[in-house]
Amino acid sequence: MSAGTLVGPLEGGASFPAHLTARVITPGERPRVHGYDVEADLARHYQASDLLFLLLLGELPKAPVSRAFSVALMFLAPVSVAHASTHAAVVGRLCDAPSRSMFGVAAIGAAEHASSLLDEHRELLVWLLSPRGPLPERFRARDEADVAAVQRLTAALEPTGLSIPALAEGPSRDAALLMVLFAVGFTVRERLEAAIMLARLPSGIAEALAERPTNFGNYPINLPRFTYTEAQ
Amino acid sequence: MSLPELTHETRTAHWGWDEHRYFGHRVFEQLAGHESFTGLTVLSVLGRRLSSDECAIVDDAASTLTLADPRIWPLKLTRLIAAYGSTLPAAAAGLLSEEDARIGPWAMAKSAEMLLAFDAVIGSRVDEPETVRAIVQRYLGEHGFAWGFGTPFRGKDERLVAFRRCIRQRGRQELRFWRLMNAVSAAVAEQRAVEPNMGIATAAAFLDLGMTPHQVGSLTSALMQHMFLAHAVEGAKQGASLRELPAGYVEFDGHAPRSSPRAQEIGTGGA
Repeated sequence: MSAGTLVGPLEGGASFPAHLTARVITPGERPRVHGYDVEADLARHYQASDLLFLLLLGELPKAPVSRAFSVALMFLAPVSVAHASTHAAVVGRLCDAPSRSMFGVAAIGAAEHASSLLDEHRELLVWLLSPRGPLPERFRARDEADVAAVQRLTAALEPTGLSIPALAEGPSRDAALLMVLFAVGFTVRERLEAAIMLARLPSGIAEALAERPTNFGNYPINLPRFTYTEAQ
Repeated sequence: MSLPELTHETRTAHWGWDEHRYFGHRVFEQLAGHESFTGLTVLSVLGRRLSSDECAIVDDAASTLTLADPRIWPLKLTRLIAAYGSTLPAAAAGLLSEEDARIGPWAMAKSAEMLLAFDAVIGSRVDEPETVRAIVQRYLGEHGFAWGFGTPFRGKDERLVAFRRCIRQRGRQELRFWRLMNAVSAAVAEQRAVEPNMGIATAAAFLDLGMTPHQVGSLTSALMQHMFLAHAVEGAKQGASLRELPAGYVEFDGHAPRSSPRAQEIGTGGA
């Protein structure tokens, strides 16, 4: 049968637009992001982290917010190979996957990692929207290392002059970072997820690129051990 | 420093010397030559084998689910990634878009959850239209939406018409969840004027095979991969044509040109 004779629900009846809609980035030779000229304006006056902020939230950050967001991205970025997200990217590299595929693995891992962090802090996000009462116990610093990390975060934020009262509640490192992102405008879960994922993605890629493809002899194949059971 | 021993249990597989294990089966002795590709896929998701008659229903579902026009959104997604020239990343992107999505095989998992919820309250009263009607009315009032209903751009789901024939031919039309689906469908059609689709039919048929909703979603996803692969293979061969739409095919509906605060301060750049 000639293809020209085939008809179905998409050939008649329902009507569809003839154009695709761009909502953030203007297509063409002179790109704008949310209205700002990237090449003549943003590239001259702003940092890459400001562009990320603009892309995700639609407005440019004022100076204190810009600095605080940059600090948060910095604290979020390092994800060692102990974490499954980075570990998976390294295994992709060991398998000699093409770099594009390994980057894809790292991106999936970073997205799942960010989503899992937010799942664990669902109750915190509710508390941040309406912080009545003390910070729930499970989001408090668990040990001295946690306390010290939050002190370093507070010190890094000090020059911004940004006031984040929730940080005085003794949060864990993860909770404190979410408090900072929340304070600079990331109040919607999927935007938070995007910021965390993008901050962490380079770690997975970098750790993977540092590994030698097919270096299986140096990879701990029995970490962890899997015990096979034939359950009923 | 002594480290804690890290061990995980797996029922999935073990690599031996001359024989391997897969879900309690010896691969060369018990699976090779005895189990079909569908049977292996079922074993992978359910952790148990189905009889060949039961696997035939899974095959029927896979065949009747084959609606693979490249304009359908998840397949279009695959096609777009394939435009860069690789096959498996494109197929993986399609696969990635499935879990918990409203479009695609996870609708079958949601439909299965809904059918189980109906089963819990309707039970053996599936032949009492008044009872079913009242329960469905309450459900629709609480949820506002029923998974597995509605067929975009057409009055009924032609895949379900074909799948019903398969179910009848295999004598499975009187099984518990298939009958429940029919009873619920009649009540939903009466109250919302929407027809059941292949999502709820697949869910019912697979629940009648003893699957959980998560298994329904996972297995249906596996059964639909041939469509993603088809577009990944063809799209990768076609190459660059989809990489960038020609000028004029994209309209901008966003913020008007503006100058940044810093550009305004120093009088450079801007709108």
